[in-house]
Amino acid sequence: MKKNPVTLATGALVVLIFASMLFAFQVRQTEVVIVTTLGRHTRSIEEPGLYFRLPWPLQNVHRYDNRIRNLEKKYEQTTTADGRIIVIDVFLGWRVQDPRKFLELFGDNLTEAERNLEIQLRTAKNNTVGNHPLADFISVDPQSLRFDQIEAEMLREIRVATTNFGVEIVLLGVKQIGLPESITTKVFDRMKAERERLVKQFQGEGERESIRIRSEADRRREEILAGAEGRAREILGEAEARAAAQLKTFEQHPELAVFLLKLDALEQALKERATLVLDPRTPPFDLLQNAVAPAGHGQ
Amino acid sequence: MPSTPPPPGPPAPPTPPLSAGADDASSQALAETFGSSFRLVKVLMAGLVLAFLCSGMFVVQPNQLAIVLQFGRPVGTGPEQLKKPGWHWAWPYPINEVVRIPIGEIQTATSTAGWHATTPELEAAGQEPAPQGILRPEADGYTLTADGNIIHVRATVKYRITDPVRYVFGFAHAPTLLTNILNNAILYASAGMSADAALYKDKAGFRERVLERVRQLITQADLGITLEPSDVETKTPVDVRQAFEEVNSAEQERSRKISDALGYQDQVTTKALGEAQAILARAAGASNRLVTAIAAEARAFQDQLPEYRKNPGLFRERLLAARLSRVLTNVQEKFYLPQRPQEQSRELRLQLNREPVRREAPATR
Repeated sequence: MKKNPVTLATGALVVLIFASMLFAFQVRQTEVVIVTTLGRHTRSIEEPGLYFRLPWPLQNVHRYDNRIRNLEKKYEQTTTADGRIIVIDVFLGWRVQDPRKFLELFGDNLTEAERNLEIQLRTAKNNTVGNHPLADFISVDPQSLRFDQIEAEMLREIRVATTNFGVEIVLLGVKQIGLPESITTKVFDRMKAERERLVKQFQGEGERESIRIRSEADRRREEILAGAEGRAREILGEAEARAAAQLKTFEQHPELAVFLLKLDALEQALKERATLVLDPRTPPFDLLQNAVAPAGHGQ
Repeated sequence: MPSTPPPPGPPAPPTPPLSAGADDASSQALAETFGSSFRLVKVLMAGLVLAFLCSGMFVVQPNQLAIVLQFGRPVGTGPEQLKKPGWHWAWPYPINEVVRIPIGEIQTATSTAGWHATTPELEAAGQEPAPQGILRPEADGYTLTADGNIIHVRATVKYRITDPVRYVFGFAHAPTLLTNILNNAILYASAGMSADAALYKDKAGFRERVLERVRQLITQADLGITLEPSDVETKTPVDVRQAFEEVNSAEQERSRKISDALGYQDQVTTKALGEAQAILARAAGASNRLVTAIAAEARAFQDQLPEYRKNPGLFRERLLAARLSRVLTNVQEKFYLPQRPQEQSRELRLQLNREPVRREAPATR
C-alpha cells in the first residue's frame, strides 16, 4: 500500500491528541492541583502550566480554585460582655493554601469546607463579641472604640482554629451590627425622646441667648449714655472752674459787678411775654410823677 | 450503472473478452469514485483545519484588556501579558484561553448593609418605604452610630481596575469582596461618629472616614483597584425623621432669635453712641459759651470800672436808664399806676392764663 505523508501526519496528530488527553493536564493560573496515585497523594502543583500524568485510573487529578473567596453568614444574634444582644455579620476572604491538607479533610467538596469554616467563624465571633461590651463596638470616644482590635481578635482566633484546614484566611471584617427587631422600636422611642429634649433645649437656648444679648445691649446703651453725661458734666464743671477764675476781676469792685449782673438779670427776665405794672417811684416814671402832680391832685 | 454484474446463468462462450473488459471498467469506476470522495474529504479536512485556526482570532474592545493563557499560564511577563484593544490571534482552547478584563470603563460598587429596603422603581420615584416602627434585619439595612442611634448609610464608590491580573486571578469574585469592604467601612465610620455629626454637622468628615477606611481595606486586600471620586449618603430612618426635622427647625429658630437679638444690639449700641456724641457736643458748646460769656463780661467790667469810679451815681443812672428803655420796649404790656394819696385805695385785677399775642421779631438791641 502506498504511504501518503498527509495521512501519516493526520494519524500521528490524532494519536498525539489522544495521548495528551490521557497523559497530560493543565493547571490554570487560578488553580492548585493535587495528583494522587491509586488514591495516595503524589504531588501538589501550585504553578500554572502543562504537566504529565499517568492515565486514569492510575493517577487522579484534583483541582482547587485558589482565588480568594468571600464567605459570610447572615443574621446571627450574639451577646456582648455587658449582656446586650446584637445581630452581627462577619465576612471572610479565604483561599485554599495547602491543597493536600484540604483534600485530606474535605475531599473535593468545597461546600463542606465552607460549612466547617462557618462553624469556626461563628465560634470565633461569639467568643470575641462575648469578651467586649457594646461600648467597644460603638463609641463617641475614639480611645474606647475597639473596632479594629475586635476584628483582629476574631481573625487571630479563626486562623488558629483552621490551621489544619489547608486554607488561608486572608481578611476578616464585620459587615453589619444590628439590633433585634423589638429593640429597634425602643431605639426609635429613645431617639424621639432625645430629639424632643433637644427641641426644648434649643428653644430655651434661643430665648435665653436672645434675652441675654438684648439686656446686654440695653445695659451697654445705658453705660454709653451715662458715660457721655458724666463726661458732659465734667466738661461743664471745667468750664465753671475756668469761669470762676474770672471772679478775681469782679472782686475789684463787687458793687459794680452786682449792679451789672442785676442789669443783665433784669433784661433777661423781662425779655418776652412780660407785663409790667409801674408806679411813679420807678425811674424813669418818676419824671411822670413830677409832670402829672401839678395838673392833678396838687401834691 | 455499467458495473452491474450480469445475472448468473449458463456461461456464454462467445462472450469471455466482454466479461474481462467489464471487470476492468467497474474497478476503475470504483477507484474513481473513491478518489473523488477522498478528494472531497481532503478539502473538508483542510477547511476544518482552516476554520480551527481562524477560530483563534479575537477582538479586544476599546474598554478591555485581555490576557492569553497558554496551558493555564499567562503568556508573557509584566505589562506584556496584557493584550491591548484590537485584533489578536491565539490558539483555540485547550491550548490557549483568552481572559477579557474590563478596565477602561469606571466600575461602580454599592454597599448593601446600611440602606433601607428599596427597589429601583421606588428609588427612581424618590420614594421610601412607609414607617413601620420597627426594622427587620433581613430586609432593612441600617448602621448604629457612636451614640447608639440608628441611621441609614449608603456608599457608592467608583473604581478603576489598575492591576487586572490581581483583580481577575486573585479573587473568585472581587466585586462581592469590595461590597463587603464598603459595608465594613460604613459600619466602622458610623460606629465612631454621633448621628448628628454623620447626618448633618460633619457629613464631609463622615464621608472621608468611610472612604479612608475603604482605601485602607482595598490596599490591605490588594484588590488591584483604585478609587475614583465617590459618594456616601446618610439618611434618618423614616420613623424618626419628623423628630429630627423638628430639632433642625428648632435649631434654626434659635439661630434666628439670636441673630435678631444681635441686630437689636447693633442698632441700640450705634444709636447710643450717636446720642453720646450729641451730649458731648452739647456740653462742649455750653462750656464754650459759658467761658466766652464770662470772659466777655470780665472784659466789659474792666472797661467800665474806671468810668464808674469817676462818678458812680451818674454811671449807675446812665446805665440803668439805658437798660430800662430797652426793657420797657421789650415788655409786652405796661400799666402805669399814678400814685394816690394814702387813704385812697385802688383795686387792681389781673387776669392770668390768657394767651398773649406774640409780637413779631422783637428788636431788642
